Amino acid sequence: MAAVNSRGRMTTLGGIAIALLSLLVVRVWFLQVVNAESMDERAQAIRTRTVRIPPERGRIFDSQGRIVADNERLLTITVDRETVKDDSVRAELFSRLSGPLELPAEDIEIAFKSLRNDPLADIPLKVGVSEDTALFLRERGEDYPGVDVREDWKRDYLYAPLASHVIGFLGAIRESQLSLYLSLGYEPNELIGQFGVEQTYESELRGTPGYIKYEVDTLGNKLREIAYEPAIPGQDVVLSIDLAYQQFAEQALQTQLKVRQRTEAGKVYLAPGELDPGYAEVNYYKAPAGSVTMMNWATGEIIAMASYPTFDNRWFNAGISGSKFQSLFPNTQDPDQSILVNRAISGRYNLGSSFKPFTAYAALNSGQLPGGSTYRFKDEGTYTLESIDRSLCQQGVKCVFKNAVCSSSGSPCRYGWVDVEAALAVSSDAFFYKIGEQIMTQRNTNDILEQEVRKFGFGSSTGIDLPYEFSGALPSLALKKKLAESGAITEESARGYYVGDNVQFSIGQGLLSATPVQVARAYSVLASGGNVLRPHVVRYLLAPGTPDSKPGYADIENGRIIRDLRTSQVISTVDMSGDRREPILRGLKRVITGPGVTSDYYHKTTGEKLFANYPYEILPIAGKTGTAQGFNNLPWNDSSAFGSFSLALNRPFTVVAYLEKSGYGSQAAAPIAKCMWLAIAGQWRLPEVFPAEPLDVASTAVAKSQSMPNPQCLSTPYTGLRE
Amino acid sequence: MSIPLLNRRPSSGLGNVRESMADPARNIDWILMGCVIALNIFGAFIVYSASRPQLTRLGLDPYSTVQRQIAFLIISAVAMILTMTIDFQLLRGRAEFLYGATLVLLVLVLIVGAVRGGARLSFDLGFFSVQPAEMAKVTTLLMLAGYLSDDRLDYVPYDTFINALLIMVAPSVLILLQPDLGSASVLVACAMGVLLVAGVRIKYIVMISLFALISGVVAILSGLVRGYQLDRFKAFINQNSDDDALQNIIFQVKNAKRAVASGGLFGKGYLQGPLTNGSFIPVQKTDFVFSAIAEQFGLIGSAMVLTLFGTILWRIWRTAQMTRSQLGRFICIGAFTMILWQVFQNIGMTLGIMPVTGFALPYVSYGGSHIVAGAVLIGLVQNVHMRRLR
Repeated sequence: MAAVNSRGRMTTLGGIAIALLSLLVVRVWFLQVVNAESMDERAQAIRTRTVRIPPERGRIFDSQGRIVADNERLLTITVDRETVKDDSVRAELFSRLSGPLELPAEDIEIAFKSLRNDPLADIPLKVGVSEDTALFLRERGEDYPGVDVREDWKRDYLYAPLASHVIGFLGAIRESQLSLYLSLGYEPNELIGQFGVEQTYESELRGTPGYIKYEVDTLGNKLREIAYEPAIPGQDVVLSIDLAYQQFAEQALQTQLKVRQRTEAGKVYLAPGELDPGYAEVNYYKAPAGSVTMMNWATGEIIAMASYPTFDNRWFNAGISGSKFQSLFPNTQDPDQSILVNRAISGRYNLGSSFKPFTAYAALNSGQLPGGSTYRFKDEGTYTLESIDRSLCQQGVKCVFKNAVCSSSGSPCRYGWVDVEAALAVSSDAFFYKIGEQIMTQRNTNDILEQEVRKFGFGSSTGIDLPYEFSGALPSLALKKKLAESGAITEESARGYYVGDNVQFSIGQGLLSATPVQVARAYSVLASGGNVLRPHVVRYLLAPGTPDSKPGYADIENGRIIRDLRTSQVISTVDMSGDRREPILRGLKRVITGPGVTSDYYHKTTGEKLFANYPYEILPIAGKTGTAQGFNNLPWNDSSAFGSFSLALNRPFTVVAYLEKSGYGSQAAAPIAKCMWLAIAGQWRLPEVFPAEPLDVASTAVAKSQSMPNPQCLSTPYTGLRE
Repeated sequence: MSIPLLNRRPSSGLGNVRESMADPARNIDWILMGCVIALNIFGAFIVYSASRPQLTRLGLDPYSTVQRQIAFLIISAVAMILTMTIDFQLLRGRAEFLYGATLVLLVLVLIVGAVRGGARLSFDLGFFSVQPAEMAKVTTLLMLAGYLSDDRLDYVPYDTFINALLIMVAPSVLILLQPDLGSASVLVACAMGVLLVAGVRIKYIVMISLFALISGVVAILSGLVRGYQLDRFKAFINQNSDDDALQNIIFQVKNAKRAVASGGLFGKGYLQGPLTNGSFIPVQKTDFVFSAIAEQFGLIGSAMVLTLFGTILWRIWRTAQMTRSQLGRFICIGAFTMILWQVFQNIGMTLGIMPVTGFALPYVSYGGSHIVAGAVLIGLVQNVHMRRLR
């Protein structure tokens, strides 16, 4: 009895044991067989750590090989957050680190506690340590647990602020760009090109990051290297910009703007000889901004592109405070003061008379002028529209258009009988008013002028390899409707496209807006005999790691070209056959050389005086001045334009200068172009280009101002070669 | 003795059977012995694989831990042989003394014990330390088995039951004060097993369970149980909790489970376990040793270890079945339940089906006292087995 009971109870116990062990077996089976794979992946992820190796960004060289954007290797000592979680451990480690880092332990603690530290990454303790320090700490990993060296690159612009608008700068990825760049494999805290070439060629310049994969333990200590993929540096960019010309253009632009700011603007007349008492006080030109563009008309390469106000692109990685940045780059609604605008590609300008060559082409090409280039028209100083009923004119429709005022008489200039050539040379408005009206009325086709000038690239973007290009706008009913919608013009005026609009359009006024680079391209079409080019600032891309030829210069001659942008960039051609181009060219040549026309008295051409001593035989050029009327047609609101090109195949350049609110084209913009032409002709020595001084972070100037060492070439007349 | 054995002539009658069939030395359970030795040796290899990464990183001799383990195994072998040689009936006579001495040591350890991780578990003797709680497992078993077998009844009267309970409770409370919930639970398991087989009424078993439950609650409420023990339980209830306080435990168990799972069918191979090599599992060489086995040897290794334990338990149960001595049976049953409970709880917590309680896997984990105590338990069982025919 006893034994049976005892045995029964032991059987119970044995059963319990079997049940418990079976439970373990089932559980092990479940984990190791059923669940094995998914768990295994998680096990893999937790025991490895991937350290990213940032690639060296491609460098940027000018056309002569000058290194304009370089990289400085930046070594940063970091510490793993988990390792030094404990206060006493950290204090002990930092006191031992203070020697190698040459920093008091308290300062290291401050760096550790900084609120700007990324909460997920290792904490930077000291940025920019020497290679020796980094090596010392790397070799003693056991003594400095959790301490690591991170390699980074710092962008350096050696010639800042030269060509800052073209080169651009690096900046953080903006909120709106984040998803795009993350999808391209960027890290959220990476710097990307946010302006200029740095932005356009971001994907080529960036390179490919590498990585090292470590096996780590719970403390994050590296056990061994599992995989290593070196970073591939970015491609190097060779600009077509020549810093010598760039610097000269910037100096000339800034010097001339300063000169114009001290120049008295013209008076306002109510009637011939009668001054307007409302504007009795002396007004100076504001001359706030401008641009100079020098382009190769055979290839489309931009040799120089100056824009003012300019900036020093080193401010963007100088580590300055937000408030300092605000004071340097204020948020402004005033377009005169906008700094981060490359006016050569983003300026929205009336062109004034510098647009006339294209109106002339439109007239010649569409057969508007009876007899073509021989057609003559009597310029009486004013032009009255013929197609409008007189009674309408009396009801307030503007029917009478005037020429510019001749300072000698105080009334609109009268040029007498002029043909196309002479009309361009002296800039007869009346002649082009006539064309404007004729084009509008004779063929009953409203948009011939628009169609013709579109061929030169007006009204569409040039496709230049720089961001934020403005595509321009040509007057049309559609444009008027659009402008009326946005409130820029009244609904009433947008009801139709009128003869008056076309008349304004024909002299580059009214609703026409274009950028200086569009003007440069359009003049290049004339120069090259019809080729519409895509302007570009990059000549070619080189394989990573172009070596230096001498300090400050890269050996661009022997670099391996990956993408060549010198090859023909002709987008379309314009028919320049027959008697289409020559009269225009002759007129533009006469602008430079004279002679003018005689009517009442001798009228000089617009450039005759300025270019009086220009060595035309060394480098023949042609050009056209333009004075774009601004607000209320007040003289001090006139913007000054000058487009010009050489007629020599060995120096195929186009130079366009545009100075806002600086007065007549012949007085503000043309002198800058003259300086450029003298330099191109080898008659004026280009100042030498030196690397910039280090950026003074205490400075309050957004860019160091530049001026010509010798501004003589700007003056009228030029009197021979000067140093 | 050996000399006549060697000189014996092959034809001398019964020849080599010179002694009785009942000679204890001839009745050792070699299957049980083999299983224990196999676990010991396998355990030493596992202890090496689980201790090596950390030692290497600290720049210490990677063999230093396993060398100590081997030393403990030798000591435990000696202790087991000693236990086997002394007739368990004689040991019964010393049970009160041993039990009393244990209680004294348990009190002493609370006063002068070495503090480790906030608990006083052991006496620090320089080269090694001694945990009296492990000793209590043996002595309490002897005391309990002896007391219950004295009556020679096939049931447990009420007052006997209460006394038996007190025998178990006294060391348990002292151990809880250390605090060492794990070891205390082993004593409870032991008492429950012995009382069940001794013929206690089911309602008493229920009472013990209630007692354990209530004392647990009381321990928590009175602050005897440290916060971390409560956390372990919370972490078990919600294994995916976001509570920061539980993260260490959750991390430990999660990684242990990952290690087991990543072992798969055949394991990663000896010394090839990434989680083991990365020291991702705290106290892996003691409490979480099973994760190292499972990661390196997979289902094959896990099954082998469970089979060895199953065999050990079967042999002990069989001995309990065979012995004519009630004392012997109770000793075996006590050993049986203690080993069963420790194996189930230890592997169960590694697999995430039991809350984390800090004790070792018998015969495998690194450690001194528990290896010796485990060996002594086997020694007692062998003792019973050897003398089962008396």
